[in-house]
This record gives sequence, C-alpha cells and structure tokens, in this order.
Amino acid sequence: MLSLIVFLPIIAGLVILAVPSSQKQIIRIVSLLAALAQGVLAVLIWRGYNPSLPGITGSFQYVEKVPWISLQLGGFGSLNIEYFLGVDGISITMVILTALISAIGVLSSWTIQKQVKGYFILYNLLASAMMGCFVALDFFLFYVFWEVMLLPMYFLIGIWGGPNREYAAIKFFLYTLFGSVFMLLVMIGLYFSVLDPATGNHTFSLVAMATQTNYIKGAILGPDNVFWRYVAFIVLFIGFAIKVPMFPFHTWLPDAHVEAPTPISVILAGVLLKLGTYGMIRINFPLFPEVFHASMYVIGIFGAINIIYGAFCALAQKDLKKMVAYSSISHMGYVLLGLAAGNSEGMVGALYQMFNHGTITAMLFLLVGVIYDRAHTRQIEKFGGLASYMPVYAALVTVAWFASLGLPGLSGFISEALVFVGAFSSETTRPIAMVSVLGIVFGAAYLLWSLQRMFLGQRRSDAAYDLVVGDDGHEHIHFHDWKGKLDLDGRELAMLVPLVVITIFLGIYPMPVLGMLTTSINKLVEVLSPVVMSHL
Amino acid sequence: MHSLIQLSIVVLLLPLLSFVILIFFNRRLPRRGDFIGVGILGSAFAISAYIFWSVIVQTYDPAFRIAWDFTWIDLGNVPGVGPLQIKMGVVIDNLTAIMLAMVTLISLLVHLYSTGYMAGDKNYGRYFAFLGIFTFSMLGIVLSDNLFSIYIFWELVGLSSYLLIGFFFEKQSAADAQKKAFLANRVGDIGMWLGILILYSQFHTFSFEQIYANLAAGQFGLSNGWLTAAGILLFMGCVGKSAQFPLHVWLPDAMEGPTPVSALIHAATMVAAGVYFVARIFVVLTPDALHVIAFTGALTAFMAATIAITQNDIKRVLAYSTVSQLGYMVLGLGVGAYSAALFHLVTHAFFKACLFLGSGAIIHAMHHEQDMRWMGGLRKHMPWTFATFTLATLALAGLPLTSGFMSKDAILAGAIGFAKVEGGGIFYLIPVLGFFSAMLTAFYMGRQIWLVFFGESRTHLKPADDHHAGHHAHASHDEHTDEHHSEHGVHEVSWNMRAPLVILATLSVFFVYSPDPLDGGKGWFMKMIQTPATVVGENNHQKGELLAAGVAAPTLPEAVPTVAAHGEAPAAAAGEHGGAEKGGHTYADPRQAEIIHAGHGAHYTAIYISSIMVLLGISLAFVVYVFRIIDPEQTAIAIQPLYLFSLNKWYWDEIYEATFIKGSMLIANILSWFDATIVDGIVNGAATLVRNFALLNDGFDRHVVDGMVNFTAFTVNTTGAVLRKLQTGKVQTYVVMLLLAVFGYFVFYLTRLIY
Repeated sequence: MLSLIVFLPIIAGLVILAVPSSQKQIIRIVSLLAALAQGVLAVLIWRGYNPSLPGITGSFQYVEKVPWISLQLGGFGSLNIEYFLGVDGISITMVILTALISAIGVLSSWTIQKQVKGYFILYNLLASAMMGCFVALDFFLFYVFWEVMLLPMYFLIGIWGGPNREYAAIKFFLYTLFGSVFMLLVMIGLYFSVLDPATGNHTFSLVAMATQTNYIKGAILGPDNVFWRYVAFIVLFIGFAIKVPMFPFHTWLPDAHVEAPTPISVILAGVLLKLGTYGMIRINFPLFPEVFHASMYVIGIFGAINIIYGAFCALAQKDLKKMVAYSSISHMGYVLLGLAAGNSEGMVGALYQMFNHGTITAMLFLLVGVIYDRAHTRQIEKFGGLASYMPVYAALVTVAWFASLGLPGLSGFISEALVFVGAFSSETTRPIAMVSVLGIVFGAAYLLWSLQRMFLGQRRSDAAYDLVVGDDGHEHIHFHDWKGKLDLDGRELAMLVPLVVITIFLGIYPMPVLGMLTTSINKLVEVLSPVVMSHL
Repeated sequence: MHSLIQLSIVVLLLPLLSFVILIFFNRRLPRRGDFIGVGILGSAFAISAYIFWSVIVQTYDPAFRIAWDFTWIDLGNVPGVGPLQIKMGVVIDNLTAIMLAMVTLISLLVHLYSTGYMAGDKNYGRYFAFLGIFTFSMLGIVLSDNLFSIYIFWELVGLSSYLLIGFFFEKQSAADAQKKAFLANRVGDIGMWLGILILYSQFHTFSFEQIYANLAAGQFGLSNGWLTAAGILLFMGCVGKSAQFPLHVWLPDAMEGPTPVSALIHAATMVAAGVYFVARIFVVLTPDALHVIAFTGALTAFMAATIAITQNDIKRVLAYSTVSQLGYMVLGLGVGAYSAALFHLVTHAFFKACLFLGSGAIIHAMHHEQDMRWMGGLRKHMPWTFATFTLATLALAGLPLTSGFMSKDAILAGAIGFAKVEGGGIFYLIPVLGFFSAMLTAFYMGRQIWLVFFGESRTHLKPADDHHAGHHAHASHDEHTDEHHSEHGVHEVSWNMRAPLVILATLSVFFVYSPDPLDGGKGWFMKMIQTPATVVGENNHQKGELLAAGVAAPTLPEAVPTVAAHGEAPAAAAGEHGGAEKGGHTYADPRQAEIIHAGHGAHYTAIYISSIMVLLGISLAFVVYVFRIIDPEQTAIAIQPLYLFSLNKWYWDEIYEATFIKGSMLIANILSWFDATIVDGIVNGAATLVRNFALLNDGFDRHVVDGMVNFTAFTVNTTGAVLRKLQTGKVQTYVVMLLLAVFGYFVFYLTRLIY
C-alpha cells in the first residue's frame, strides 16, 4: 500500500517518458490521474488507519519491511539497510497533506507551457520523493528520499522559474545539501551506536533508534557519550532547521518562492517545509530526548524569532509573493514554538499547524499565482480596488487571508491556539509564549494591510490594469494581454475550493485530523519526558 | 438536554443559516433575500422571547442556571494530566436570557430598519448576510460557557465588525477604519488570550464553572500577582472590544459603516460584549484588578464626554457618547456595582440603538449629510424621529422617568459607596469623574438636539466646495439614494424605519424595568442579576476550607459559587437597606459585602448629585445654544487650546500614528533591511567566500599542483629533447662517442693513478 502510494508518481513519470513531448494534454492527464490515484490511496490508508495505536517506538501500521542492501564490511561487520515503510499518527497526517497538495499542484501546473514533458517527469519524481520521506522508517531510506527530492526541485526552480531562477535554485540546493551532509554523518554515527533488539545487528531503523535502551554504552552516540550526542543533535537540528526554515537559515526561502513557478511554490510551502519539522519530530527529538529537553528553551526562542521577525519582514515587503513567503516563516515559527513546549497541547498544535499551514499557504500561493498570471506583476502597489471587479477572487482571498491570520472558525486558529496553550502551560516556554502573542497582531497587520491596498478603495492611477466601460454600461477592468476569464475560472476554482472547504471544515471540527494525532503525540511526549529518561 | 438549551442552540444557529443562505444565493432571490434575514431574525427573536419568558418571568430565580456541553477536541490520555478534553457548551442563566432577548430584538429591528435604509445598495444582499454572521457571533458570546468559545466568538464579532465597517469599501476612509478596528481589537485580544492562558495553565480547563470552582477551592498554583495579572489581561479584551481608553480610537472611526450597523454593533451589542465578558469573569477579579478597571472606566467616561461636546458629525457625537457610556459600565463593574453596570448595558443598548437609528433616519432624509452645522429645524419635518430621538436623549442624559436615569444612578451610587469603603482619597476621583461626565453628557446631547431639530434649516449655509467634497466621498452610496429622492425635500422616513424607533424609545422608559422611577433596585432586572460572590476574595482560602467541609450551600459543580446563602458570613452586609432587597443574600467576602452595602446607602446621594449635574448640563446647553447668552464660536476661540484638544480627540490618533504605527513600520523596514543585507549577506558572503576559495584553489591547482605535474613533464620533455640529439642512428657517431668514452675513461684512470 505504502510502496504504491510512494511510487505511483514515478510510474506515471515513466509512462510520460514514453509519451511524445508534443502530446501535452496526455502528459498532464497522466500526471493528474496519478495524483488522483495517490489521493484515493491516501483516503484508503486514512480509512484503514487505527488511531489507537501510538507508533513512535513501535506499532506502526501498513508496515513494509524487507532487507534492501546488505554489505559485508570486514572488520566493521555488516551494513544492513532495510526497505522499511510504515505510518503512525504523525506521518499519516503528512501523507494525506502530501497527496492533497500534489494533486492541487498538478492542476496548478496546467498552465506550464515550456517543456511540459520534462516538467511533469520531474514533478512526479518530486512527488514520489516527498511521499517517501514521510513513510520511510529506515534512516538510510529516509536520507535517500530526502536527497532525491533536491534534484527535481533544483531543476523545477532553475528551468521553469522567474528571471533570477538560477541563483535561487542553486541557493536552495546548496543550502539544503549543506544541512544534509551533516545528517549523513550523524546517521552513520547512529548506525554504529544502535542495535536492533530483534536481530542483534546494527540498524538504521528509526523505530529501533527511538528507544534509548537500544543504544550501546560507549558507542560514539551511546547514552554516556554526552558531548557527541549534543553535537549530533545540534547538527541534525540545523539540517532540519534549514528546511523549516528557521531564522537565521531562512533566506533561501523568499528567493526560492519569488522565482519558483506557482505550483512549485505551492509544493514548497505546502509540503517541503513540513519535512524540516517532521524530521525534528521523527528523528531529532526522539533519538536524543535528553538533548531536546535541554534545548527546549532555545528552540522556543528561535520559534518566537521566526514568528515575530517573519511578521515584521512580511510587513515591509512590496512583492506579494515575498510577503506570503515571510508569512510562511512566521507561521512555521508557531510549529517550532509548539514543539518546544514539549507537552501534548503544544505538540498536537504544532502538528496540526503543519497540516493547516500546508493547506492555507498553498491557497495563498495559488491566489498570488492567479493575479500574477493576469497582471504579470506582484507589486502590491500596482493594484487597488480589485474587490469591485473580481468579487469571487476577492472573497477567496479574504477567506485565505483570514485563515492565515488565525481567525476562529478556520483551521489555522485551532492550531495556533493549541500551540499557545501548550507553550504557555510549559513553564520553560511560558515567557516566550507571552512575547510570541505579538505575532497575532502583526500577522493581522500585514495581511489586512495588503488586503486593503490590493482589493479595497479605488483603482490606483498606476495600476497594472485599465478601467474600461463594458457593453452593459458598467465599469470593468482589463489586464493587458490576458485572454482568459477576468474572475476565477473553473480550473482555478477546482484548486481553491477544496482547500477552502478543508480550511473551514477543520476549523469547525478538527477531530478528523487531531484524532489521528493524539495517541502518537501523547506517546511522543512520554518518550521525550524527563521522567522516562530518568529510568534509563 | 434541557429544552431551553435546545432552543438556545436553535437561536444561535438561525442567524448563521441566514448568513449561509444570503452569502451564496442573495442574487438569485427576490428582493436579494432581505425577507429571509428579517424572517429568520424574527423567528430567533420569538424563540428568545420565549426563553426570556420561561427564565425571567416564570422561574424568577436569581440563581437560575442550566448548562450543557460536549467534547470538541479530545486530546486523549495526556502524560502528566490524564484524559484531557476541550469542551464547548451553552449556559443559560438570567443574564444570558436577558441578553439573548435584547440582542435578537435589536438585531431584528435593525434588519427591519435596514430594508429601508439600505434599499437599492448594490451589495444589499451581502449586507444582510453580514448582519446574520454578526448576530450569530454575538449570540455565541452570550451563550458561551467557557473562555475558549467566548474567545472564538469574540474574534468572529471582530470579523463581522470588520466586514460591516468596510461595507462601503471603495471609500478609502472606510477601508482604513475597518483595518484600524480589527487591529485595535487584536491588541486587546492578545491580552485577553494571555489571561485565558494563565487560567488554563493552572487548571487545564477553559470552563468558567470549573475554573471558578478550582479558584474558590484555593487551587491557583501561581502567586496572587499572576491572578491580578490574569484579571487585568482578560479585561484588556474588554478594553479593545468596548473601546476603553487607550484602545478607544477605533470606535469613532467605525462610524464609516452603514448607520444601522453602528446602531447594532457599535452601540448596542458588540461593544457591550466587553462589559458582558468582564461580568462573566467578575468573580476572578482581584481588588487590584478591579481598581484598574474602575479607573479605566472613569477615565474613559470622562475623556469621551469631553470629546463629544465639540464634534460636529452627528454620528461622531453619538460614537463618543457610546465610548463614554461604556466607560460608565466598566466603571460600574470596577467599583463592584455589578448589577447596575449590566442594567446600564441593557438600558443603554435600547436608547443608544434608538439614537443611532434616529440619526440614520436624519442622515437618510438629509441625503447623507452628517454635519450638524448644516442641519436644523428638522422637528417639523420629522416628528416621529424627533419624538423618539428626544426620548432616547433624555434617557442618555439620565433624566428621571427614563431607564438611563435608574441605571446610571445605580452605577454612581456604587461608585460613591466604593470610594467610601476603599478609604476615600484618590478613589473619590471615580465618582467625581462620573458625575462630571453626567453633566457633560446632558450638555452635548442638549447641543445635538438643538442643532439638529430646532432653529431654522442651515443646509444653505454649507460652503459649496465642502458640499461637493462631501458628495464625492459618498458617490458610491449616493447612486441609489438619488433614485429614491428625486425631490430634495426633507421628509419623515417610511414605516419600516419608524417602527424600530418607536419600539426602542418605548423600551427607554422606566416602567419597563421597575415600578419605581427613582429606584431600579425595585425592578425585576436588579433582582434577577445579582453580584456573584468573588472566588478570589481575602478570605478565599478560608472559604475554600468551608466549601471543602461542606458548610457552604453551593455544591460544585452543579451550582456556580455565586451566592453564599448562609448566615454565618460577616454581618456587615445585612444592613437595613440591602438585606431585604437582596433577598437575604449575603457575601462571604467582607470587602464585597461592604461595597454593596455602601452602594445602597449612597442611593439617594447619587440621585441628588446627578440630578443637579444633569440640570446643570442642560441649562448650560440652553444658555449656549438656545438663548445664545454665551456664543459657542467666541468661546471656542477664547479657550482655543482646550477646544482644539477636544476637537482633535485628545490627539490620540496622532500619538498612535507617530509612535506605534510609524514605529512598527520602522522596525519592519529595519528588519527587512537586516534580513536582505545582513542575514542574506552572510549567506551570500559565505557563498562568495567559498567561491573565492574555490577560485584560489583553482589557481593553486592550475599553477602549483598542475604546475608540478607540468614541470615534471617539461623536465622529461627537455631532457628527452636534449638526449634525442644524441641518438642519431649513425654508426660513425656512435663509434666517435665510444672512442670519446674510452678516451675519457683512460684519462680518468690515469689521473687516479698519478695522484
């Protein structure tokens, strides 16, 4: 089941390889079918998932485990790498999110005209690699998916991006690679420090690594080797923090977003950023719980910096897409803050925020793409009074913007609220939470201000569109060289409406997602709690 | 589930239904679906009236309370806490029943009124949809049984307020005002949210009932300072929503919204939600927190009243008057005059809604003229509006026989009693500011009535360019009004706008609330709404022990620890005035008991002083505007600094613009620069460094490493080239070389031999 959902896009990619590149529509439809099939599989996996099993250190579901690479290394013993997939409450939410965003990304890619065949092959490779990351339970396998993901992303930004695309692509690639090199070292260190209790061999299994009793005393990352465990935690954390992205490792993100085509921005913000925090939850924290416990305060502070610094930077942006990019940084700060709280409320909030940020930010980038397609500019100052002329678009922007600023009744509110509840309940992060609430005000400030400048009031004299009087005697606006429908067309609605419905539904009734999470999160909190550690 | 609970949920959901229908389908419905909005609100009001009847009239029990909740978020078995759920629920007590009826009635009247006022607007249907979501959110606040859901609906009324203030969004000023309102409210909300978090972090619940039970049992884990902080932070929510100083600046600007909206949201209901919320959390407020609240309210009441006397816009006068009256309510809660404050909330809601709808009628009739300087003489043209407006004005000014008289005096009596109990001194500032504001209220309302309704019409006096500018600003909204008013005469509004005025004016008369026009305490309201006993009083811990020992009457959690109806409490409260009227309720906390007692003692003092102040204010208005003994223009010039201070609203907008707004933008720009230049600079710098190192390395590689390789090759090459010369392939050369070698050897050998 999991193999199928992971490799389905790659299969689609192979099919596309056989289609002549002139058959653009077939290529698109094949991709869409693959994405929809992935969605169906995700729903099936979700339906069959038993939320009462905790996961984290065992009892994963839909497990697939076969030996993959087995090498005899003489004196070092044998190298055993497994093809090990499985989901628990934490990964299943991300699987559903990935399937959803991938499908919407395909729809959004419909307007890509340049080298369609190459684009969709890379896109499908990316979709597979992302999905693989979320279901891999063998560290080596995870690492493979993690690295494979970089390659299509690099080309998708570097070839199909904006004017400064090569710079952005290289920056993205090198930055992430920089982080993952250290991950490789830690991974090897962990391999030699952990024994699989079932076989007695060294293992890359993340499940085995999450139980502290499986570590060998005296090994490089063994329980008594405090120094190297701290070093390993920190470099691993930086590797994941780059992906989040956490201040000060965040500057690749605005560049990547500004240059990336709309669907790639959607994927980037909707799924890729979550891999950073997912890596922390799956790998960084449970493998080094005592170091996590010692660094909660620091992580919380970085979370607060992300929230407030991101909001201020967003306030100053003139490019709408850059503003949304900084809002992503701000919102991922809530995830960090919730994780830093270390309690169930905070962690559930963080996970839920990852999911909601995925859907809401995808919506934001799609909406930015809509106006960019029409006006060929994203400068906020080039618009004004759009609400009168594009009412449906304005209404959806309003919903998305309010979702982003955490309005109750929309999903983002619940996750932010839970993050604050958790962060405030933990005495470690309480002062940080008290500062971070400023993000609520400044988040509203940049969003409402941009909303006002673009949609309310009257058309500006230097706007990116003209006012024309139509046949019916009413005033309309006209974008230069835009032939399509002025307000949202069917394809755009097909991308946006599902996200809006999800955002509203999960804002009123969050249990479909939270219900999957809570058992796993409670288990994780237990694994991370100092009480459990003191028994070691 | 109790049938009243079921009905209240129906009442809550009906306006939401109206919103959903109208937002999607208004263009496909006849009359843009306004009848759906009115009809649904009518049903909601009918059900609310039934709830009111059942609870207030039939049950008539001060301690009435029913509640129901359900699990909304289940966090499972949380380590360190145990099973943890976040619940949502509904509570109905006397206050809820009264508020339900009040909100649905005013909302219904505003719906009805809007069918006239908003007729022909291009977004007519959307307008009713927004009214629907507002009413839904407001009812949610009223019905909430926990802090979390009240916060949710709190933000949602903020949203509806945002949408309705900016209803004419093509106008820049409306777009500015809606943003300002939302942001000012958010500042208050983060305080409220932190207050909620303080309480949650101790008890892992949001439920009012459970939090109060835990507090009453003395289980608060943090210091008392945190408790005071929690109270003040929660109050910050009220500061934002109820437009208290220093966050009051948004409310006057909110008058950019359609006038019926101003009546419903920005006068009668939403802004009073802050007061309602403070009443809900009243029992957790420590004396220190209450002092902060009392002074905030008094200052707000006074400040807004001083501003209202110089404003020229008819709606702005009323807006500042609203701020001022909300200040009274907050003051009332702060001094412990709990029931008086809530009484004022209800009476104010009716007469202020009447005033706003009346002003809407005037503005409608005057073709969107809002400046009182160009009105005058409307008494003859609009007799219905004049009569109802005047009645409501009398209630606002607090003249006897009106509802406002009873409620305002009850607050002021409470303030006097409070100052006495707190030991006088600075605390007397609160009643003094209260009384002074009462005089100012009478003055500015007298001024408004005179300028609008009496004298001759001054429409023609309006400077031409001013007139034009005014019209231009309203261009978008004017399109429809011109259709309806082809002739430019001023005339009375139609029945659907007149009926709400009459109903609201009727509800501003004393007999609705109390048989005795001089004492609201004899009426049903003050009997049904009684001060709940504090759970954080001085003898809280002692009381907690009492509760634990089963001495006290309320058995938690079925009954809220509002009244401790037992005899052994301090006798201070059982005074000749309070005891009987309070139905034998006494208060365990000595401070609270004393304040309530002293408040009753000050009842007639308050009546005398405030009547004198009101008469003074009205006389002053007569002296200035009717008899023109003092010329207002000349006076304004004579005291110009004060006049400008008032006219410019104490310069708060300018101060905030210069500090918070400019400051935030400055920080934003600095951080953005820092991000692009320093943080990214380091990244790019690192990249450049690596690249330069690579170039250097390249140079080293090419010149040194490769140079050595090439040198080796060169050496070999050169050597080869030289040696190649020797290898000619000719035998003769080889023979010569052989001979030379042999010769050389002999020379070498012989030389060795000789030496």
